[in-house]
Order: sequence, then C-alpha cells, then structure tokens
Amino acid sequence: MDFSVIPNNIQFLMLGLMRSFQLAGFTIILSLSVACFIAIGRVSSRRTIRYPSAIFVNLLRSNPLILIVFWFFFLVPLITGKTLPEFHTVLIAFVVFFAAYFAEIVRSGIQSVGAIQVKAALSTGLTYSQTMRLIILPQAFRNMLPALVTECVIVFQGTTIAYVIGMREFLHSTSLVAERTVRPVELYLFAALVYLVICFAGTRLALFLEKNKDKSR
Amino acid sequence: MTLPLIQIKNLSLRYGDFLALNDISIDFMQKTCVVICGPSGSGKSSLLRCVNRLEEFDSGEVIFDGENLNTTKNISQIRSNIGMVFQHFELYPHLSILNNITLAPQKVKGIQRNEAEDKAYDLLDRVGIIDQAKKYPDELSGGQQQRAAIARALALEPKLMMFDEPTSALDPEMISEVLRVMRDLAQNGMTMLVVTHEMGFARDVADEVVFMDKGKIIERNDSESFFDNPRSDRAQEFIDKVLQKI
Amino acid sequence: MNYEFDWSLLLQEPNWSWVVEGVSNTVQLSLLAWIMALTLGIVIGAIRMSKFPLLRLIGTTYVEIFRNIPLLIQLFLWFFVFPLLLPEDMMRAWNRLDGVPFLTALIGLSLFTAARIAEQIRSGISSIPKGQFLAAYSTGLTEVQTFRHVIIPYAFRVMIPAIASEFLTIFKNSALTLTIGVAEITGAAKTIEAYTFRGIEAYSAASLTYMITTASVVIFMSWLEHTLRIPGLIGKR
Repeated sequence: MDFSVIPNNIQFLMLGLMRSFQLAGFTIILSLSVACFIAIGRVSSRRTIRYPSAIFVNLLRSNPLILIVFWFFFLVPLITGKTLPEFHTVLIAFVVFFAAYFAEIVRSGIQSVGAIQVKAALSTGLTYSQTMRLIILPQAFRNMLPALVTECVIVFQGTTIAYVIGMREFLHSTSLVAERTVRPVELYLFAALVYLVICFAGTRLALFLEKNKDKSR
Repeated sequence: MTLPLIQIKNLSLRYGDFLALNDISIDFMQKTCVVICGPSGSGKSSLLRCVNRLEEFDSGEVIFDGENLNTTKNISQIRSNIGMVFQHFELYPHLSILNNITLAPQKVKGIQRNEAEDKAYDLLDRVGIIDQAKKYPDELSGGQQQRAAIARALALEPKLMMFDEPTSALDPEMISEVLRVMRDLAQNGMTMLVVTHEMGFARDVADEVVFMDKGKIIERNDSESFFDNPRSDRAQEFIDKVLQKI
Repeated sequence: MNYEFDWSLLLQEPNWSWVVEGVSNTVQLSLLAWIMALTLGIVIGAIRMSKFPLLRLIGTTYVEIFRNIPLLIQLFLWFFVFPLLLPEDMMRAWNRLDGVPFLTALIGLSLFTAARIAEQIRSGISSIPKGQFLAAYSTGLTEVQTFRHVIIPYAFRVMIPAIASEFLTIFKNSALTLTIGVAEITGAAKTIEAYTFRGIEAYSAASLTYMITTASVVIFMSWLEHTLRIPGLIGKR
C-alpha cells in the first residue's frame, strides 16, 4: 500500500470536494426555500393547493435520487432545447428531490407549533401570510433544526450520486486518481474517511441540537 | 336606539357530524360585559370564534359593527378591532413581551415602532407588568403571561374584547390578578364577551349572563336575575353543580 | 417539445427482457438484503443496549461508520477494494464466483441498512418506559428474559413502521448498485434509453415500479399496524 498517492494528488481531490460542497450547499439553500412553500401548501385548508403538494411530495419520495437525476438529464435538454452544464442539471434534480424531503420536515415543524398559535395571530388582524412568516415559521425552524441538519448530511452524502453522470465531485475525482495511479485501495479508503469525518461531525451537531432544543433562553 | 355591536342570525357550525352551534340568534350591545357559561361542548368557545371568523361557520350571519362577516373583504381589519384572549395565553414564544404587543399595531395598523412601543408600555403598566417588557414569555408566570396577552389584545384599541376561558389554565393564586384586570376593563366601559367558569366574576362584574347547552342558547338574563332566579331547569342544575364545587 | 410516445416498445425485445431482469434482480436483492439487514441490525441494536461498555462501543462504532459513509462509497469499497485486500487464493475464488456484482451489492446494502436498523431499534427500545424494565426485573426475570418476553414484543410493534420503511429504503437504494454492474431496474431503464432514445417510456417504467412498490408497502403496513396495534399505545388513529 502506498498512501503517498493521496498527498501527491491532494489538490485535485480537494477540488472535487469543493464541488461536492458547492452542490450540497446550493441544493440545501434552494430546496429548503422551495420546501417552505410546499409545506405551507401541505397544511393549507384549500384542497386545490393541498392535493398537488401532497402528490409532489409522495411522488418524489417514492423514487430513488439517481432515477430522478436520470429523468432530469433526459427532460431538461428536451424541454429547453439546449444542454445545460452538468452541474446545473444535477442541481435542478437535487433541488426538486430534496424539496420533497425538506417539505416534510418543515411541515412537521409547522404542525408542532400548533394551530392555536395561528388563531392567536389571526385574531390580532395579521394576515395568513404574515402569520406564517412572522410567527409560525420562526418557531417551526427552532423545532426542526436537528432534523434539518440530519437531512443536510443526507444531501451531502447524496452528492456522490453526481458521480454517475460524470460530474467532477469528490467521488469522481477519487475514482479518476484511483484509475490513473492504480491505487484504488488507498484512494477509496481515503474518500471513505473524509466522508466519515464530515458526516460524523454533522450527525453530532444534530444530536447536540436535539438535546438543547428544549432549553429555554 | 343604537345598533347592536354584534348581531348573530341563525348561526350554525358543524364539526363533521357534530353540531357545535345550532341555529343561534343573539345580539350584543356596546359597553356591556356578557358572561357566556355552560357545560363543556356547549359551543361557547365556538361562538366566540365565529364572531371574528376564526371558525368558518356553515350557515347564518354575523354582523360586527355593521359589517357582514360573510361578505366583507376586510377580515383582517375587522379582526384588529376585536381583541381575543385565549385559555393558554398563546403569546409568541420567540418574541419578547414588548414585541408580542407591538407586532400587530405595526403590521396591521401601520403604526410606527416608537409610537407602538410607547403605547405598549402604557398597557403593560395598566395590567401591572411593565417591568417584564423585555423578557420572553417562558420567563413569566401564568398570571403574568395572561395579563401580557390581554395587553397584546388591547394594543389595537379594539371595540370588543373576547375572553375564552382566560383563567382556566391558571394556578388558583393567579386567577384574581387576571380577573382584576378584566374587571377594570369592564368598569371602564369595554364591550366584553367572556367564556368562563368563574361564577363570582359573572355575578359581580358581568351585566348579563348567557347560558348555553348543546349548541343552543338556553337562557339569557341580567346577572343578578340569572343567579337568583334561573328560568330554566338546566341552568339551575348547572349553577348548583358549579357553586357546589366552591 | 418534439416527442413521439411509443409505449409498446417496452414490451418488445430486447427491452422487455431488460425490464424483467431489472425488476427481478431489484426484488431479489431488496428482499434478501432486507432480511440480512434486519437480522444483523437486531443483533447490533441489542449489543448497543448491553451492560458491557466494550460491546456497546463496538455497536456504536459499527453504526457510526456504516451510517456516515455514503452508500455509493461503501459499494465501491466492497467492489474495488475488498477483493484486493483478500489473500491471493481467496481473491481468485471470489472473482470466479457467479454474480459478483449481485453478491457485492447484497453485502454492501445489508451492512449499510443494518446500521440504520440498529439505530431505529435503539431509539425504539429507549422509547419504552423504564417502568416496564423495573416491573419485569422485580418479578425476578433476568435481563435476557425481560428482553425476550417483555421488551422485544412491545418494541417490535412500535418499530413496525420503521422496519417496513427500511424495506422501501433498500428498494430505492438498490438503484445505486447499477454502478457496480447489477442489472437492476434503474440501470435497465438507462440501457433502454440509450438503446431507443425513448427516455420517458423507459424511466416511467422504472418510476412506476418504485411507486407501486412504495404504495403497496404503505398499504400493507397500515393494515399490519392496525392488526397488531397495542390498544392505547399507538392505537388511537
């Protein structure tokens, strides 16, 4: 075993890791934003909003991420008539997919605040959207922080799937170096270790947040 | 003759199969303090929530201050003229007491922050908790929280104050401080609808008592007559049971 | 958008045999991996509740390692790295086996999911009121007996939803095994798309498989939960 391949190629590998972080970061920000709307749709009293939201969530949660990625890779050029760079297409697929998962977390966060807080806010004359924005969502976020962090770790783990469509994220970079230097053992073990450390830190953070979320100010 | 502040005509409300309000018609005049009492499930809270359309009723009409709640386009503004106090206070836990009170005046009535805060301090002083202004709800006792909730409702200078079992969730020694605030309000001429089991308050402070059972109004009388001379058997039964507890 | 739909092509050869092979492999892989993961997961879950700190540490380490490394990397490790770490003759024997990708996928999926199941078991058991343990011990039952006759049956009913949802997770995760050469359904869809350029039909077939499976399991699960429920615990629906 020759672990020197790792420091020798570290720049290339770290570039890949950066890409993984970028994909994860953009996905989290965009899909969480979309998810808030979907979650509010899920709890809406109007059936015309509630049903499509539920269908969206259940549809996406029934499919593997990799299949959704394939779907978008096929549909995006078909619909837009041109080929977007891989990162963008993958990002769209990821955002749509994880929006469904984040939506469920936000929904349960909203429901944990309780309908009567909604009534209390409405009774002072606030509109429904003011109520959601100023009263319900801030409280919901505090409650769902541990679950959100856990889901973010899952997003980061999910970036490995971008390997399949040839995006130059961390796993792909690792496999390229592994092929070139014919040292798969060292490289894949290294990749595993990197993910292990990052995701372990993430799950510890989620655990910490879970323990401390009930502490009063 | 002045128009009633609240006119309710043939109001009905269903939850699935359960008929919470059964064809209720009643009017309430300004500057009266009305206690609504009755056994659990009689529809008292539902009635209150229909007055500011927090519950969507199935049939009938509610006219508040001349506006028909069914046809109005301005439900937000109407609600800001009605103050509501809840059994479990329902302060916003992530905001300080001061911000709890100034939120609606700023967002609904467009009042500037400074003005809203001055007003808020006044109200907090009136209900006796001015020193708690910067604290958060979970740092206050139940009685203090409920008084803060009353201040929050008063901040919009409402024409009507509705109380939905305001003292039911309080420890006994804190009930009187809240009732005192409510009594002051009534004596200063606020129109009040109060759902409560506090019969002492009903007898001493309220002008009228409305007794409800199974979604219908069984009896309505001025408070003295209600307690001394209930006209219906059910009301008599209820009074006996409640007074026995004390 | 210019697209001519042609759903019948799915029924034609060679597409149809790809579909059949894909579904068959996916189902077999998922069921086998689920059973293996359950078995291992229960063992590890039990170890984590043991009196002995060393056993607990082994259990926790297992869970943390297999939960925090992405599944795709675990599959790669088993496929590319594991054979190379074996002694020469074992490695040759391994490479000569029939269906190495399937076996590798089976091992990778089971071990990954076992960690998840172990975690759910731990949280399921810790949700049991401590009073149950105390009551059992006070009547003289040993730790093992308590677990066998009181705790496990109780926890089992509470964990049914989680266990069923793990099957669905495995079923969906099986899609990743296309990267190590398993002819499962997503891979079949991709192959059909590459062959016929009819992506919508191909991917719909794959999506349909997943969605029908998900719906069936969810329905079966609510029936099961309803039948086995402990009144008053998760009973009131």
